[in-house]
Amino acid sequence: MGEPKDKIGIKEYTVIALLMIGTKTTDDIPAMLFDSLMNAGWTAPFIAGVIALVPLTLLLHLATKYKEKNLIDICYHLFGKFLGFIVLFILWLIGFVYIALDTATYTDIISTMYFVKTPSIIIYAVLMGVCAYGAKRGLEQIGSVSWAVYPYLQVSLLLTLILTLGQGKASFLFPIFGPGEWEVMKESMMNLSIYMDFLYLFILFPFVKSTTDFRKGTWIAFIVILFNLTITMVSYVMLFDFQTAMTLNYPYHEVIRSIRMGFLINLETFFFPFWLIATFIKFAAYLYINILLFGKLFNINHFEYIIPAFSTLIVFIGMIPETPTFSVHYFKEMVGNIASPMFFFLPILLWILAKIKGDLRT
Amino acid sequence: MIKNLIKTLQKSTKQSIDNKEIILDKDLPKNITALKEIYSYPDNTDVQFRSLHINGLDKTAMVVFISTITNTKIIDEHIVEPLLKNQLKDSRIENIITIQSYKKKNNMKDVLIDINTGNAALFIDGEDQAYLLNVTNFEGRGIEKPDNETVVKGPKEAFNEKAATNISLVRKRIKNEKLVIENITVSKRSKNEVYVAYIKDVANEHLLNNVKERLKALDVDAIQNLSLLEQYIEERKHSIFPTVLYTERPDRAVSFLEDGYIVLLMDNSPDSLVLPATFWSFFHSSEDHYLRLIYGNFTRILRMAALFITIFTSAIYVGVVTYHIEMVPPDLLLAITATREKVPFPAAIEVLLMEFAFELIREAGLRVPSPIGPTIGIVGALILGQAAVEANIVSPIVVIVVALSGLSSFAIGDISMNFTIRIIRFIFIIAASLFGIYGMTAVFTMGLFYMVSLKSFGIPYLSPLSPKYKSSKDTLFRRALQNEIFRPGYVKPKDMTKR
Repeated sequence: MGEPKDKIGIKEYTVIALLMIGTKTTDDIPAMLFDSLMNAGWTAPFIAGVIALVPLTLLLHLATKYKEKNLIDICYHLFGKFLGFIVLFILWLIGFVYIALDTATYTDIISTMYFVKTPSIIIYAVLMGVCAYGAKRGLEQIGSVSWAVYPYLQVSLLLTLILTLGQGKASFLFPIFGPGEWEVMKESMMNLSIYMDFLYLFILFPFVKSTTDFRKGTWIAFIVILFNLTITMVSYVMLFDFQTAMTLNYPYHEVIRSIRMGFLINLETFFFPFWLIATFIKFAAYLYINILLFGKLFNINHFEYIIPAFSTLIVFIGMIPETPTFSVHYFKEMVGNIASPMFFFLPILLWILAKIKGDLRT
Repeated sequence: MIKNLIKTLQKSTKQSIDNKEIILDKDLPKNITALKEIYSYPDNTDVQFRSLHINGLDKTAMVVFISTITNTKIIDEHIVEPLLKNQLKDSRIENIITIQSYKKKNNMKDVLIDINTGNAALFIDGEDQAYLLNVTNFEGRGIEKPDNETVVKGPKEAFNEKAATNISLVRKRIKNEKLVIENITVSKRSKNEVYVAYIKDVANEHLLNNVKERLKALDVDAIQNLSLLEQYIEERKHSIFPTVLYTERPDRAVSFLEDGYIVLLMDNSPDSLVLPATFWSFFHSSEDHYLRLIYGNFTRILRMAALFITIFTSAIYVGVVTYHIEMVPPDLLLAITATREKVPFPAAIEVLLMEFAFELIREAGLRVPSPIGPTIGIVGALILGQAAVEANIVSPIVVIVVALSGLSSFAIGDISMNFTIRIIRFIFIIAASLFGIYGMTAVFTMGLFYMVSLKSFGIPYLSPLSPKYKSSKDTLFRRALQNEIFRPGYVKPKDMTKR
């Protein structure tokens, strides 16, 4: 197999991006934001999104200039062999650690919210098994599956939103800036890593049919994600008020437990499968991109053969923290603190270097 | 001594093969002796050697044919009689016999092929070639109604076991000179022939060559019919999903031909193979398009619902009862637990037991001689189900669940897809019994990944849904006929629009 033979279209690319980043609103990211920003937590994804426009625009500008090159080639080209390798290696490491932490979070969600009695290592193993299987199938397959299921996933999220907003109170949103404007700005800046995955998506650049497709897809995905994140966060505040929202670790799963529709009182098992499908695809994509990067770094042509080994490794790393609900949360914040500045400054650095090298003049 | 015997035996087989390579001789008796040896005459009872004398030409002649697969009346009236009655001295043979079509061959091999396919060979003394006369008449049944793919509205002809009839049924529907029917011999010993039908200015060249190459690459002694051929040419032998469509309806085959697909026909097969096939072609039926738009889509919805019910009902029941009890409204939950109270098994065992019983009844019902058929139904469905509930082996709700999923499985008409879904159902039940909804979703996602990676002759299995292709979007729902203006883009037809 190796690198994908056929290129993926704009639809597939966009939904992969949507699933990779859009699902963040359903894990512990909202909890992180509510912790520091209280009822203004929902503004963070929006403001961070606005800030993320800077690196994103620069990256897209670079990508359109270097038509045939992906992020890896651009890094090597601009930083040189040695420095480029180090930058990419750090990128890969952050990605890898983040996958391990994130899957640990998702396993924790499944085992604390739905399968309390099942040993979490088995849940973890099944999760990674499915993701590894998906990743091993290749990028086109991940794209196809995402496109086939995406409408249903979005509808299920929309239904949750409608039900939540219907049962919530708008007055819980005020005061808009919660702990204060400066605090909001600072925290949003620190949580820029929500959008970090766009950086990794640029690795897929040569596998998307055309530059315009890539650019359009990135913007569409960015806007949809921005609204998905913001509106769901709003809905959490409206349903729970910030006092409760701050104590909840996985608000989305509390939300689908709290809402009701007609005679159906417990809806969580109805929404759960949709969320799970999104999760599987999300990590399949993560895993694929991460291992593609790894394969490029160490010149492994048939990188798909190391996918099973890596997923096993991830299970064992992810199982190390004993109280994942708290420790993983903490680790994630730590990684986020490194990743956020990196996401902001790396594109700027790349752009400046390209400018100095004179590649941007055409 | 035994060694010698084997040697002579080998020699004689070698010789008999060599005989087929020989060029015909001018000497009639020499040819006939060779033929008699090849056909083991007179042990072989239905091979006929009719010698006669053509008076006008003053020559002896011999007609060779196999009486069971030829029309002997035609041989009498149009070959033997004119030859015997001929008095003109300088007329040529082709002007004496009054048969529709003939050809001349001077190679024993070609002659044998023709005799074996029901033609008569006419040998004339002093000529080093044989006249091969078309008098084929294989026995077979007439055109009947389709058994498996029944429709209420629409044509009711089905393919039968004669390829010639089947081709005629196809040609009746496409009166166009671009409809090509090629002939490829696929087996070494039995010389089974496959007819490859396609429309020349629509079907994709690359696809066609792919199919033809795969047919020519076969190296087997015999392939009796299309059901066997299907397994020889499909890509993934161990896949749970079928990748070649098998239809017994000429109208369905033709509608695929018109879209640029390739259809295979064969003798002894009351059906046709359509290549390539996508998931949707197994899901659709020809009646979807014969019914008016709304009605057709209504049946599509029903069928999709039936598909999901078949796959998921039993599994969801197991999952919910074992892991997600809170999902059920309290009143229903009480009712379920009350009936399950006396049952000693876990829900998974209970459901698997009943599903297995259902499959048994189904299989047995299929094989049972028809007079006893209804008995099986009564014993199986009524007595077994009722008694199992009364004996507290299964709870009544399980009977409902299993009956529902079993009944729904009949809504999927295609035999192969039907099997696929029935087997998948068991996988989901096991997944649900291990991990509840989590397990089911895991299997579902893996199944999706598997399905999108499947290919049938290079065409993605779920196209045009994903990956996207230009097409008339005939997937879950169909559109009004006026709006279905494109041929499916994934088969890459030479002519994309239908008008």
